[in-house]
Amino acid sequence: MRAGLVRSGGVHPSGVSALLAPFVLLALWQLACLTGLFPPQVLVPPSEVARTLASMAASGELERHIGESLFRLGVGYVLGAAAGLAFGTTIALSRLAEAALSPLFMALWQVPVIAFVPMLVIFLGIDEPFKVAIVALAAFFPVALATFDGVRGVPRAWFEVARVYRTRLADLVWRILVPATVPAVLTGLRVAITRAWIVLVAAELLAADSGIGQMMEMGRQLFRIDVVLAGVVVSGVIGFALDRGAKAIERRATRWRTA
Amino acid sequence: MNAVLSKPWLRLAIGLVAPALLLIWWQWQASSGDVRSIAFAPLGSIGGAFLELVENGSLVSDMVSTLSRSLTGLVIGGALGIAVGVAMAIWRPLDRLLGPLLHAIRQVPLIGWLPLLGLWFGTGQGSELIVVSLSAFFPTMLNSYEGVAGVEQRYLDVGRIYGFGAFQRFRLILLPAAMPLILTGLTQALAFAWIASIATEILLGIGSGLGVTMQLAQTQQRIDIILVTVIATAILGFAVNYLFRQLRISLLRWQPASL
Repeated sequence: MRAGLVRSGGVHPSGVSALLAPFVLLALWQLACLTGLFPPQVLVPPSEVARTLASMAASGELERHIGESLFRLGVGYVLGAAAGLAFGTTIALSRLAEAALSPLFMALWQVPVIAFVPMLVIFLGIDEPFKVAIVALAAFFPVALATFDGVRGVPRAWFEVARVYRTRLADLVWRILVPATVPAVLTGLRVAITRAWIVLVAAELLAADSGIGQMMEMGRQLFRIDVVLAGVVVSGVIGFALDRGAKAIERRATRWRTA
Repeated sequence: MNAVLSKPWLRLAIGLVAPALLLIWWQWQASSGDVRSIAFAPLGSIGGAFLELVENGSLVSDMVSTLSRSLTGLVIGGALGIAVGVAMAIWRPLDRLLGPLLHAIRQVPLIGWLPLLGLWFGTGQGSELIVVSLSAFFPTMLNSYEGVAGVEQRYLDVGRIYGFGAFQRFRLILLPAAMPLILTGLTQALAFAWIASIATEILLGIGSGLGVTMQLAQTQQRIDIILVTVIATAILGFAVNYLFRQLRISLLRWQPASL
């Protein structure tokens, strides 16, 4: 019994060290600042960053920045992902649509999304439409490609079975196409949300009056290293949460495959 | 229908319809005399901008400096990534020590480090190169780690039978076995470094490079120059990635299964 307890304690060293490591990291960071290894103009201790975060949260400033960023992300992502789903399905189902549209699509896909920023600024200005558009663009390409691959990957035999059963189009989409393509599409949706977040932060760094990116850029201009670090932490946590949340949804939705 | 699509030249013609329509629409917008038409440069002036940029040599010099920035970042970030990834996979304590820090850094969108790096190193070429190197570092590090950690046990067993020392085991077993994933990491790293170069050039707008020219052209409302540089970005990015993939295939020709 005792041996069993001891062993069960030793089985999860990775779990413990995984929890321990961030604390060790924070402690080392704090120590490096306290000992004067890094002057406060260069690096502020985590306690200072936490205090800045707390005061920004208390004044509602942090909430406003996060809210603005997430709102842009949400609107742009829904638009871009919906367009990507529709486009990917269309060029996967129709050979004619593929021949007509995929060359242009592939050419545009060669351009890093961030390189569309100067052009979008000229067409849309630097306000909300620009930020929503760049997020939508970042989400569109991965979703369209993943949907295309997913739908193309559905075995022909399944369509033939559907034809034998004279399945209606709605049933074909809902009962064959959707379940068969969900894994690939969800992966595309997950890649899209993390890319969209990165591009949004970059766009906010460049031109915004609010949002996490703008908060960091303003902090830089004011030499407020605590504000910059707070922004780094918040954007990291949000990126991490988006990725983990998307992965959890992916696992849940594809559980039936392994079962 | 399928008979029509099976003819390559007809397929090409169908594929050119959408770009042609886009160009016609663009030209129509540019010449409509509408208020918005300022944003649409007529096609002739885009051709003119192309000739102008070629003649004064700035297009070539921009391409060279963006490319050399990406490759420098790839060399620095890639070398560090291979070294750290391999070392972490071979020596577990290092994994425990560095792993959490690296994974924490990775959560933040790389562009998000720019304000902080700007405060530390100034908004110059140094910060730019650090971001580009970082963006090349992570995919290389992760793939090298996976490659070495995932070496099949039977290879290691054979090595033990032959009485290999640590260096022989590394040189003759671990490195060749990890090579496909290391090269995959480097291929991803190149694409990331390329995007990061363009992004930092747009955001910082210093020195020379395709992103710098785009950003400058945006402030001058020169959509023709933006379009020429965006097209150059797409073509150059595609060409470099293509060459790199070919290089990878020829390096790995001894291992057909991994392709």
